Amino acid sequence: MLRKVPVLLTAAAVLAAASACSSGGSTSASGGSSFDPKNCQGGTLYILNQDSATDEHFDPARIYTSGGGAVPSLVFRTLTTRKRVPGEAGTTVAPDLATDTGTPSDDAKTWTYHLRDGLKFEDGTPITSEDVKWGVERSFAPELPGGIPYLRDWLVGGADYTGPYKGKELDSIQTPTDKTIVFKLRKPEGDFPYVATATQFAPVPKAKDGGTAFEKHPISSGPYKVQTHVQDKSLTLVRNPNWSRAADDQRLACPDRIEATYGLSAAVINQRLSTSSGKDANAITTDTDLSPAELARISTDPNLKKRTVRGQFGYTNFIAFNTKVKPFDDVRVRQAISYAVNRQAAVIAVGGSSLATAATTFLPDQAAFGYQPYDAFPAGPTGNPTKAKELLAQAGQSNLSITLAHRNSDSHQDGPAVATAVQEALKQAGITVNLKAYDQASYRSVQTKPSTEPGIFLSGWGADWPTGGPFLAPIFDGRQILKDGGNYNFAQYDDPKVNAEFDATNKISDPVQARPRWGALDAELGEQALTVPLFHPIYLRLYGKNVKNPYLDQWRGSYDVAMVSVK
Amino acid sequence: MTELVTEVGGPGAPASGPPARARQVLRRLRSDRPAMAGLVVTVVLILAAVFAPLLAAIEGQDTTTFHIQLLDSARGGVPRGALGGVSADHWLGVEPTTGRDLFARALYGARISFTVAFGTLVVQLLLGVAIGLAAGFGGRVADAALGRLIDLAISFPQLMFAIALLAIVPQSFPRPVLLMLVIGLFNWGGTARLTRGQVLSLKTRDYVAAARLSGASPARIALREILPGALPQVLTYAAILLPTNMVSEAGLSFLGVGVHPPTSSWGQMLSTATTWFRADPMYVLVPGLSLLTAVLAFTLFADGLRAALDPKASPRGRR
Amino acid sequence: MILYLVRRLGSLLVLLVVMTAVVYGIFYAIPADPAILVCGKGCDGAQLAVVHHKLGLDQPITAQYWHFLEGLVVGRDYSSGPDVTHCAAPCLGYSFQTDLPVLSLIAQRLPVSLSLTAGALVLWTVTGVSLGLVSALREKRLTDRLITVFVLGGLGTPVFVSGLLLLMVFCGWLQWLDFPVYVPLTEDPAGWARNLILPWLTLTILQSAIFTRLTRTGMLETLSEDHIRTFRAYGLPERRVIGRHALRGALTPLISINAVEFGVVLVNAMLTETLFGLPGIGQLIVQSSNNVDLPVVAGLTLTAGLAVVLANTAADLLYATVDRRVVLA
Repeated sequence: MLRKVPVLLTAAAVLAAASACSSGGSTSASGGSSFDPKNCQGGTLYILNQDSATDEHFDPARIYTSGGGAVPSLVFRTLTTRKRVPGEAGTTVAPDLATDTGTPSDDAKTWTYHLRDGLKFEDGTPITSEDVKWGVERSFAPELPGGIPYLRDWLVGGADYTGPYKGKELDSIQTPTDKTIVFKLRKPEGDFPYVATATQFAPVPKAKDGGTAFEKHPISSGPYKVQTHVQDKSLTLVRNPNWSRAADDQRLACPDRIEATYGLSAAVINQRLSTSSGKDANAITTDTDLSPAELARISTDPNLKKRTVRGQFGYTNFIAFNTKVKPFDDVRVRQAISYAVNRQAAVIAVGGSSLATAATTFLPDQAAFGYQPYDAFPAGPTGNPTKAKELLAQAGQSNLSITLAHRNSDSHQDGPAVATAVQEALKQAGITVNLKAYDQASYRSVQTKPSTEPGIFLSGWGADWPTGGPFLAPIFDGRQILKDGGNYNFAQYDDPKVNAEFDATNKISDPVQARPRWGALDAELGEQALTVPLFHPIYLRLYGKNVKNPYLDQWRGSYDVAMVSVK
Repeated sequence: MTELVTEVGGPGAPASGPPARARQVLRRLRSDRPAMAGLVVTVVLILAAVFAPLLAAIEGQDTTTFHIQLLDSARGGVPRGALGGVSADHWLGVEPTTGRDLFARALYGARISFTVAFGTLVVQLLLGVAIGLAAGFGGRVADAALGRLIDLAISFPQLMFAIALLAIVPQSFPRPVLLMLVIGLFNWGGTARLTRGQVLSLKTRDYVAAARLSGASPARIALREILPGALPQVLTYAAILLPTNMVSEAGLSFLGVGVHPPTSSWGQMLSTATTWFRADPMYVLVPGLSLLTAVLAFTLFADGLRAALDPKASPRGRR
Repeated sequence: MILYLVRRLGSLLVLLVVMTAVVYGIFYAIPADPAILVCGKGCDGAQLAVVHHKLGLDQPITAQYWHFLEGLVVGRDYSSGPDVTHCAAPCLGYSFQTDLPVLSLIAQRLPVSLSLTAGALVLWTVTGVSLGLVSALREKRLTDRLITVFVLGGLGTPVFVSGLLLLMVFCGWLQWLDFPVYVPLTEDPAGWARNLILPWLTLTILQSAIFTRLTRTGMLETLSEDHIRTFRAYGLPERRVIGRHALRGALTPLISINAVEFGVVLVNAMLTETLFGLPGIGQLIVQSSNNVDLPVVAGLTLTAGLAVVLANTAADLLYATVDRRVVLA
């Protein structure tokens, strides 16, 4: 359920996916051809980023990122992890610390993991199931906020647990042996292996845990350890001598050293990557996409085009309705707006067909989510104002005037560019749209609290892991309406039948079997016009001349740093 | 600039009366060709802004209609054709990613930019000159108190304030006025300090002392003797404030707290166009050159006005 | 003199209290909830309440402000999980976002901003005064006009345009310089200067116009004054008339301008740092304002207030030294 907000995934406008989709194979050819995993070690990789949001707190309890993240997953190994391959298979789970992706029992309410042999922390001490348990438990401490919400919701007793620092254990996590760990959930969750990729499932040695101080010297279980970390400025990673490929088949860990710089502007990052001089030849970015202007320039430069990778992250930008606010309680008004939008204009507002595809479904257009194409209100690429006017007349809303809320910047594609495109399209249907801009901090606060939620606003949604459940449930499960804030069920939609379908599908522990059910549910929800899907973004990123094996993984749509080489 | 002349022009050299003085200033101004060129360009720009609806109607375009068929969707939404899509329909081309007409947007943008820049200048001059005069002339206590007020204005957290206003002030409140207040209320310190400095320095001059001895009231001395002497510096500074205000407005747009979309201003256009200047130079040149032309015209005129107002200058100028 | 300084100090305290109170007032009025940003998006009401409590946001705004003042004078205690840490006075609190002490955050970034602004200040003063001087001596000739066009072009160009242009030309196209990264002066003075050239230039392009124009006007003013004419009539060498006497009169008003331009410089430094990715105070202002990171914004406001007062006091003293007719207030 990752939304594109700084605390999550990667900051500003990131998240792309898989070079392998579409032209991926050829675009990464300059790196791929001479790349040999056996002989890729050496050199320093530079990461040029805007925000350090993901790594702001380099503490596994506080990081909120999908599939373990780009940089965190180099330091913190987790029970499972995303499978490190380009393309479709990159949306599946692979074992990491564990020997398999987990054994469900009791209707997927109990999950058991066994640790593999030879696992060590950076100081050489062996990693035990107790360390994993401690890592999960400390993420409940109020001093370490920011992590994923699922543990509190899913684990038995999780809702009231306040962390291990005051001596209390969480009984629903059991460690019968040094190598075995068992999680007891209060409801069936077939997607548990996906969640076990989160950094909260990284081992933390109790003896070295200083609470908020842990992030000063986080104890590594992965191929790199932290040498220096200055929040908001830089992070330097060096090799962890106690890690070896023998005990880890998901990370190549080619560079000897990784230096990340934060706080750069997007324009400068892309300028540096395209110039690719000096150290920048060894550089990538994990949070900056090409902007429309940069794309326009690069599209005429074959040399730069070669150093561009393309990918998609399961994400949907949409218009959200608050059905508790008039006139959006009237389904005909919502349908009219669904007919009136001009998706072609919205797509071009964010950079055209190379950077987005028009969306008529809420689920992203990738198989992993259970995507089934549908168009509940077919209006063609540029909208159908006539049909919209008819519906408005039926609803008795002939001179409709509404206020559309949006962010004050275009960094998340819910800013003035898309807002004016929507405004202009609705004008054709006789709807007067006033725009109301919010600064970035207020925008999130205002829209996620039902008491302050605007009637109609621009929003976007991405999943914490690539299945239909986390994409649909926070938005449409009636039990996830959170009155006091943190609410993403914007429509405040609560249908017992739909809620029951969520529960039933969550019992399925084979993701492939669950897909058609998520797709069918999406199509059914689409009929209600609770949102107006606008587009799915596509991400284009540059990399430096020396970078090899640069692909955007399809789980997060970002470079997989563990697989990149600069030798 | 006209406000300036009526506000502070007039009195000056004690020998000649106000009407004679005004005639002299006008005569000098007329003989200053660059200044007159500046004036003409300024007037033309202002007329263009005033008659923006008419001019846009002649072109047959407006500021908000999208023309996405003129854009290359696969290439980031850059306008098709040379020079950013310049054509008989779109005289200065269209905006990337929307296809809105740049000629119309630049014209309407001039309205906002001029209103904000001049409005802010009025706020700045009223506050700055008044406070500067009072500080320099009102004795130690007044000077100290006003000095602290200046400190407060300068060190105020403007960005957070601007963000707060964006969130708090109702949508219906005219945005340009808000921008004037945000920029003006915190940036009069320069004018005030400069006026104060001039006053402190002029206060001790002989002709002021003479006026004091002849029994003139302090208010009269401040307005008739000191202000005209301080004026050339203040005027030069004001000519600089004008473009600075335009650029400040651009900065606020850049930080997301400028005019509301779909309204255009030169600052808003420039801040969204920056990254486009290699892919679509026209998009940057239109607001960039407009801003530059306006800035040059203002300054040439203000320069001439300063020279013409200078009571010490020889009637023939210094050619 | 001493009395003057004491008075300045007293008013400084009042200023700082007023300003920080204003910051808390503004914060109160903004609908944004910093806890939502800290907590991540997975937070429900209960979690938010916990974070509110942790950040002290569950207290009335007046109490929050009181704790802030208290921290400044006597320090405060914070929980780090297993332990409690004491933040000694003057404690500006901990950043909501990074949990770092605000004082060290600012101290860490101050050298960057000082390097940027001090270097640029020297550069634009020198550039501005020399161009202004040339302009005045060649009044209304081609040189004067060219200089006018040049500096006004700079003045009319926002830093986010000029900075990006400089980067593209010197680092991207000609590749004469590497893309700027901040290198501390103490580590590598040459690298420090090399990396700051473009940011300095960016600010200079914008700011030197003010100096050029004011120097030009000031020079023309002074040159037409009686005593200069007298000097000339006495046959004093022109170089001496200009260097010793005219320039001095022309430069006096400039002193107070540098101090008072602080606000404008701060905003432009903010944009420059953000553009070039220099980890300075300006960048922190943008980040903390966007994240409603109240302790940081309050701390920065204190710093800015302090800097303004110091700069203005210095300007006053300098002014009084240069122009003896001026009395300190």
